[in-house]
Order: sequence, then structure tokens, then C-alpha cells
Amino acid sequence: MTQPALQVKDLKTQFFTDDGVVQAVDGVSFDLHPGETLGIVGESGCGKSVTALSILRLVQEPGRIVDGQILFKGDDIVTMSDEEVREIRGKDIAMIFQDPLSSLNPVLTVGFQIEEAIEAHGKVPGKMALSRAVALLKQVRIPAAESRVHDYPHQFSGGMRQRAMIAMGLANSPSILIADEPTTALDVTVQAQILELLRDLNRDLKTAIILITHNMGVVASLCTRVLVMYAGRIVEQGPVEQIFKDPQHPYTWSLLQSIPRLDSDRHDRLLSIEGFPPDLIRPPRGCRFHPRCQFKIDRCLHDDPPLLNVGPDQDAACWVTMRRALASNGERRG
Amino acid sequence: MADRTPLLRAEQVVKHFPAGLGASVKAVEKVSLEIYPGETVGLVGESGCGKSTLGRLITQLLPVTSGNIFFDGVDLTKLRGEKLRQYRRQLQMIFQDPYSSLDPRMTVGDIIAEPLENFGLLRGRAKDQRVQELLKIVGLNPYFNNRYPHEFSGGQRQRIGIARALALRPKLIVADEPISALDVSIQAQIINLMEDLQKEFQLTYLFIAHDLSVVRHISDRVMVMYLGKIVEVYRNPRHPYTKALLSAIPIPDPEVQSKRRIVALAGEIPSPVNPPSGCRFHTRCPIAQLPTPCADQEPPLEDKARDHRAACFFSEKVPVAV
Repeated sequence: MTQPALQVKDLKTQFFTDDGVVQAVDGVSFDLHPGETLGIVGESGCGKSVTALSILRLVQEPGRIVDGQILFKGDDIVTMSDEEVREIRGKDIAMIFQDPLSSLNPVLTVGFQIEEAIEAHGKVPGKMALSRAVALLKQVRIPAAESRVHDYPHQFSGGMRQRAMIAMGLANSPSILIADEPTTALDVTVQAQILELLRDLNRDLKTAIILITHNMGVVASLCTRVLVMYAGRIVEQGPVEQIFKDPQHPYTWSLLQSIPRLDSDRHDRLLSIEGFPPDLIRPPRGCRFHPRCQFKIDRCLHDDPPLLNVGPDQDAACWVTMRRALASNGERRG
Repeated sequence: MADRTPLLRAEQVVKHFPAGLGASVKAVEKVSLEIYPGETVGLVGESGCGKSTLGRLITQLLPVTSGNIFFDGVDLTKLRGEKLRQYRRQLQMIFQDPYSSLDPRMTVGDIIAEPLENFGLLRGRAKDQRVQELLKIVGLNPYFNNRYPHEFSGGQRQRIGIARALALRPKLIVADEPISALDVSIQAQIINLMEDLQKEFQLTYLFIAHDLSVVRHISDRVMVMYLGKIVEVYRNPRHPYTKALLSAIPIPDPEVQSKRRIVALAGEIPSPVNPPSGCRFHTRCPIAQLPTPCADQEPPLEDKARDHRAACFFSEKVPVAV
């Protein structure tokens, strides 16, 4: 087993609001291996984006990392000085966001902004920075990169802006790229292009990718491993094939059953998860999913389940697990 | 279905928006369609294709540039003032964003009662009872009528929007991306609710969305728009644009997904200010024959088979399987 490229250990990030302390990320641990494509899925407010922001220490006030370690090359990002984090940010670990329009400066050319990213981590002669920017735009398949490098963001389409953001992220050949909902604002045909681009970059440059998304289909098409988050915690994790074929946590299972699929029967009633995610200022006791879980047992109401091994490389935080839930349902029906 | 009279029929509907310097955005270009009573028609396409504009033309929230829209045989584009207002009762809309489509300073009860008051239908206790009944119908606690929108989650707000749309007992509901702002686990709740309401109140839906898997699930027929034109109406798609759209949607199953072939479309949607000649899709089409006929003739939207219309010279050459 190779050394992980990044280790997150028992991360806790909280937001200190007037209404109380929001436990946005509550004890998240995972390893990212070199060159891996890891998906983090969940609904809004589950803590997936805050986890990503925490890795680069980009959580803003009133948010704070209150506990845990984020180990990168043996050093803990949580306890580093701002100076040291800036060294890593954009150089070793880069991040791209959902909305490329608001992440780009509208009054500077795309090329200038990519050059800025290059020069942030070392002096580069102007001409070289420009030719590197052009090369990066070519790498993300912007047509006529030599002339488009002088365009402003508004002259780019949505898909091209996201490509430009990816180019900027790649500027210093990072070993890890964190993509937070990179295709959510895009049309499906453009989404397919961006996913293909990320797949190629991962294969050709061996960049490890952490993909944050709410879309199970996007995970299925890009990632090899997936973490499913709910209410600030990882509820299930494992290899993508395993999780999609044999999900063991009721939340993962229900989520997969609730999505209409292109290859399923039409008009079949969708399974819906009743209720809505909990308030993370006062999360439910016991398993945080229990108020919405149709398979809960008494123990779930007061006893918080840890992540337990439920299959090859697969962990789920559930006292029941789907294997048992479906078996006992079968008995009852039978 | 062909022997029934359509509830709504649009004929050669055009909508141009001025874009300065004498140019115009050709948002909807000569669109004709029929919607039959009790069916759900899906309307899909990428952003900027004109699907939302078409929805707003149908509900008369926007005036047409030219063309006619018949509802129950009456041409809505010819009606003005009070007469139009009376027809509007039967055409309601559900919007995408449950945050901006509800007035934050009105109670939920007032929001749902507003259409009833606008038409002077119910007053006093009868009105309150109807509001509570509507809340119950959409699966909310009827005693929530005194609360404000901010006290509700996105999914609950969308239910409030649906209750408001149902208040006047409409025949046709145009739902413009009703679930795309909602979380995955909530989307199924709203889809199921809309399907239940359709059965209960014999509603007809025009369901506008960009997510083809959702549209495929809920719709009896699907219309696909590209650059202001309907390019296909299908149960089983054949148009190369529809095929490309479908192939681009990732299926949440890594085994299936890894075996699929994505029809990559070159480039992005051209500008609707200056759309391509002939077939508007020819600049990105994988099977276009250029220049003739695809770049110099416009393919008409015509019947290709039962329940299938397509605007393509070569759609027969596209294999049927997804």
C-alpha cells in the first residue's frame, strides 16, 4: 500500500452563529491515495463542501476547524501558519468551484489570471508565463488558445470558463485537485465534456481528484471510490462499484432508489425519503439519519453507530445495514 | 391520442427579444405544439434553448411576437383585459426557485389565498378552510397557514407554490424546472406529489426541465428544443441532438456507465441572435450532410412514425436503442 497523498483524521469544523454552534463537519476521517479519484456525495448542508474548504483552510468566519488533523506529506495543515498553507494552496493542492463566473475576475483577462496563478508560486519571466498559460488552455481544450488567452471571462461560455478554472488549477501541476460541484451549473452536454477532461487529466497527469457533488451519476462516471455524507458525517464509504451495487447504509440505498434513471421503467413510483435533513445546531441523538430512516431499530434512537466494515473495503455507519433490513423485510413479507 | 381535441394548441409561435442595435434574440421560432387533456408533456433542452420562454408564452406571462395559442379552442393571444384574466385561472405556473417565488412578508395562508382573493372567489371562513384543505392536499400541516416562507425548507416551499397553483382549480399547470433547485432526496417527494395530484384533479402538465431522466420518468411525451425550435417529439428518440443529450446524462451505476458511449457534441450552442442556416443543429451534428441539405434547408418537424415527430433529414439512420 502506498503512502496516502492526504489523510483527514477526525475533522471537526463548526460555525459559531448567533443561533448556536453548527456542527457542519463532525468527525470526518478518510485517506486520499495518489492518483485516486474520490467522490464525496451528499445533499446541501451535509458538510461535503465544508470538508473540502477545510482541507485548504478556506473556511470563513464564523466557521472554524475545531478539531482533527489534515496530514499532507507528513505535515498537519490544521496547525500550519498561514504562510505555510499559502505555499500548499494552488501549488500542491488546487481547488475549483461550482460557479466559474464568480470565481474569475471580470476585469482581468483569462490569461492574466492564469499567469497570476503561475507566478504566485515562483518568479517566472513574463513571456514564459504567457506561453505556459496558452499551453494550459490547450491542455483543457480551449480552441484557438493563442488568441483566447487575451479574452475576458465574459467572452467565454460557461463550459469554457470552467475549463479556464481547471487550467488555473493545473497551473502549478498540483498532486491533488479538489473540484467542488464543477459541473452543477453546466448543461449536460458540457458536463459530459468537463467530466471527460477531468478523467483524462487524472489519467495523463496522475493528479488525484476529490470530486464534491450531489449527483450520483457524476460520481459513477468519474470516481473509483466514494464517501457518502449525511448531516456532517460519513455514513458510508467504499469502492464505487460496491457502493452502487450493494449499498449498506439506508441513506445511500434510499438515495439511489429515489433518482429516476434513464435505463429504468418510466412512471414507476420513486422511493422518497420522507422529511428533510436535520438542523445541525441540534442534530438528532443516536444515528443522525434515524428520523428519516424506514429501517430503524430502537438502538438507532440513542446509540450513535460508528463506521463499521460491511464488505470488501466498504464501511457503513449503521446498526441495521441493508443486508439485514432487506432480509427481515423479506421474512415479514414471506 | 390523435382523435382527441387538444387542451392547448400553439401555432407558429414566435418570440423575439430586442438585443440592441436592431438585432434580436430569436428565443422561440415558429413553434407549434399540442397538449392533450390529462397528459404530461415534457419540454427539455439546454439553457438558452427557449423552453422557459415558451412556457411563459403559453401561460400568457409574456406576449407572443406572432403566432396563436389556443386554449380550449379560444385564441389567448387575441384576448385582452378581463377576458384574458378569466382564462388565466385555468393556466397556472410552478416556478423553479421556491425562495424567490414566494413573498417573504406574506404568511403562507395569504400566499395561497391570494389567487382566491384576486378572483373574489371565497371569503372569510370558507377561504380559510380552502387554504387549509390546499395545505393538506400538498402534504403540509394545515395549521401552518400563519407561518412565513422562511420557516420552511426548500421542498416545503415548493409544496406551497404547488398549493398556490392549485387554488384556482386550473386545467393546465406549466411547471418550469420545479425540482432542479431541490435536494436529491426531496426531488422524489415533489415528483410523486405532482403525479398524485395529476390523478386526483385530472391535471394536464407541461413539465419544463433540463434533466432528461426526470422528464422521461414523469412525461407521456417529450418535446426537445434546440435554439428556439422543437426538434423532436418522442416516446423513443431518434433525432441526433436528443441522442447526444441522452448519452451525456450519467447513469448512477458505474457498471452501466462505463459501457456507455457518449456522443460528444462539438462546441457549444450557437447564439440565438444569429442562428445557423438550414438545420440549426448542423454545426454540431455528428451525422449532418454538408452543405446539402443540412446547412441550406430547414428540416420540417414532421411525423416519422406513430407518436414520433422529428425535424431531421436523416433521423431514420440513427439507431433506436438508447
